[in-house]
Amino acid sequence: MAWIKRTWKAHEADEWTKEDWFAIILSPLSFILITFGLALSLFGLTSGFIMLVAGVIVTALMFWIIDPKLNAISSDYESKQHEYLKDLENIQKWENK
Amino acid sequence: MVHFTPIDFFWAIAYIVLTVLSGAFFYKLGKRSGADFFLAGRGLPWWLPATSNFATHTATDTPMWFSGFVYKSGMFGVWQSLFAGWCAISAWVSTRIFRRSLAGTQAEWQTLRFSGLPAELLRGWIAGWQVALNMFIAGWVGVAMGNVCKWAFGWPLWYGLVFFSSACAIYAMSSGFWGVIIADVQQGITMLITIILVSIWGSIAAGGPQAIITKIQELGRPDMLNPFHFTGWVSGDYPLMWLLTMIAVPFLGGFGMATHFDWFVEAQRIQSAKTVKAAAYSIWWGAAAVIVRNSIWVIAVLAFFVLYPNLTSESDYQLAWFRIGFEFFPPGLVGFFFAAILAIHFSTISGILNLGAMYATRDIYHHYMNPNASEKQIIWVGRLMTFVVLIGSFFFGIMVGENVTKWLFFALWLMVAGTWLPNILQVVWWRFNGWGYLSAWIANLGICWLVVWILPAFGILKDLPQFYQFWLLMALVALVYIPVTFLTKPDDMDRLVKVYVQTRPIGFWGPVKREAQRRGLLQKLEEIELAAEKYSAKE
Repeated sequence: MAWIKRTWKAHEADEWTKEDWFAIILSPLSFILITFGLALSLFGLTSGFIMLVAGVIVTALMFWIIDPKLNAISSDYESKQHEYLKDLENIQKWENK
Repeated sequence: MVHFTPIDFFWAIAYIVLTVLSGAFFYKLGKRSGADFFLAGRGLPWWLPATSNFATHTATDTPMWFSGFVYKSGMFGVWQSLFAGWCAISAWVSTRIFRRSLAGTQAEWQTLRFSGLPAELLRGWIAGWQVALNMFIAGWVGVAMGNVCKWAFGWPLWYGLVFFSSACAIYAMSSGFWGVIIADVQQGITMLITIILVSIWGSIAAGGPQAIITKIQELGRPDMLNPFHFTGWVSGDYPLMWLLTMIAVPFLGGFGMATHFDWFVEAQRIQSAKTVKAAAYSIWWGAAAVIVRNSIWVIAVLAFFVLYPNLTSESDYQLAWFRIGFEFFPPGLVGFFFAAILAIHFSTISGILNLGAMYATRDIYHHYMNPNASEKQIIWVGRLMTFVVLIGSFFFGIMVGENVTKWLFFALWLMVAGTWLPNILQVVWWRFNGWGYLSAWIANLGICWLVVWILPAFGILKDLPQFYQFWLLMALVALVYIPVTFLTKPDDMDRLVKVYVQTRPIGFWGPVKREAQRRGLLQKLEEIELAAEKYSAKE
């Protein structure tokens, strides 16, 4: 799936891209499929098993897409976090209005 | 009445003693700093806040309202529990943005996102409202415990409310969020095991899954097994519009912050996570555990339905899950079940007490009353505020009484209906300013009580279905904040650029992004990265 980007530079990962939108769409779908898939599966209903398996596949696909991007965002942001925290404490103490 | 054997007493007493003592174990970590007392030092791996999310959102009232929905509507009632769905989108959008802001609370976010007087008013307003709301939540969860103890042991309502909330306040006061989050892990595991056991026992008592299906059909309620059983677009008990509201409101709410009152609880856990990724994962997996829990509960409640099909009083059938455990577990396991109920109760109450105290301490005391407070003062005020929230919860608990589900819907949906869209706009639209947001909060407070309680009570407005009330409230409040936004100036561009560069929000931020680029704030970062890459390539 070459159209899914899995190698990110920090400044690219900061932008909202199609990978984010895939995760945004797949995530609710995964929740709905798992909720009803599991509930119906516990009654031994075939429709439940189908929904549950679909839910697991959708979840795995979502993480496969979003995980590399989150890694890039996280590692870049942590390097600046200390400075941002200092700024936050200034606002807390009315020093940076 | 539930009969306890000596081994049952052992489980219950041992659990209370161990949990309270564990607070003392983390006392030293909690008193290191304000960030430790309220955010566990901001360095947790994702699975700790995730487990805490699950444990905190499994409260004593949760199996009550869930049983109420499913006993009445079967699988269709599960949609009503899907409000945890806001985390599905939030994990990848608003969680990411909020974690980057580093704001300890949603009130603090106001002074980062907005500027000037409205930002300060919003911070004070949200902080005060959160202190009151957390008293209310602790009160209604506490009184749910009162209801369980009244049914199980014949105690007066206030025994369960006062005694058990006070017990968990001990460790919330001594070790702060460290004690809360570590206890949540143990409590989360205990409650998940118990939830699975209750479903197994309930299912066996009703003759197994196939027998439950057969009996539901014999009772003339096959619709209870169909989550897509609609009675029309807007009419009947299960209208499609209601379902669409149930899907749209929580899921789309994930683009915003504070679209659901659970956001305020999650916000604390988001900031306790070590990295942006850990925060996102903690929200997603915490909510995933919640929806799995709901699915496991369904079989226990439907088993109860076929065992007791003719209950008409809500206060009777909302105890379905508790009754399965107390009535069908063997002696010895009943005490373990009660210990699990305590785990469920403690995890929510301790988290809520700490959260309410956080708003009172960080946003009211530290920001407005004593900006130069030392870490020691912050921690002691935090402890005092934990106690104040506890006492307030007793008053609210007595007020809620036995009508847990009715209050829940009002608090969950209708009290946030008018601010639902503004809560999204504050994240996705640069032009939505502090005055607009503040006016939405004030207008919502008045209009929601008018539409839901006051006007129907005087016969001026029809008692509308809940999904109509939601959209009506949203529209009425928009009539206030949209003109206010356009009639007042945009927020200060310096502040907007700062928040944009730090948090990189989604949506309509074009003018702010261009200004940040013009100031060289975005290119600069990219240039630094490219230079670093060139340097490492040379190396």
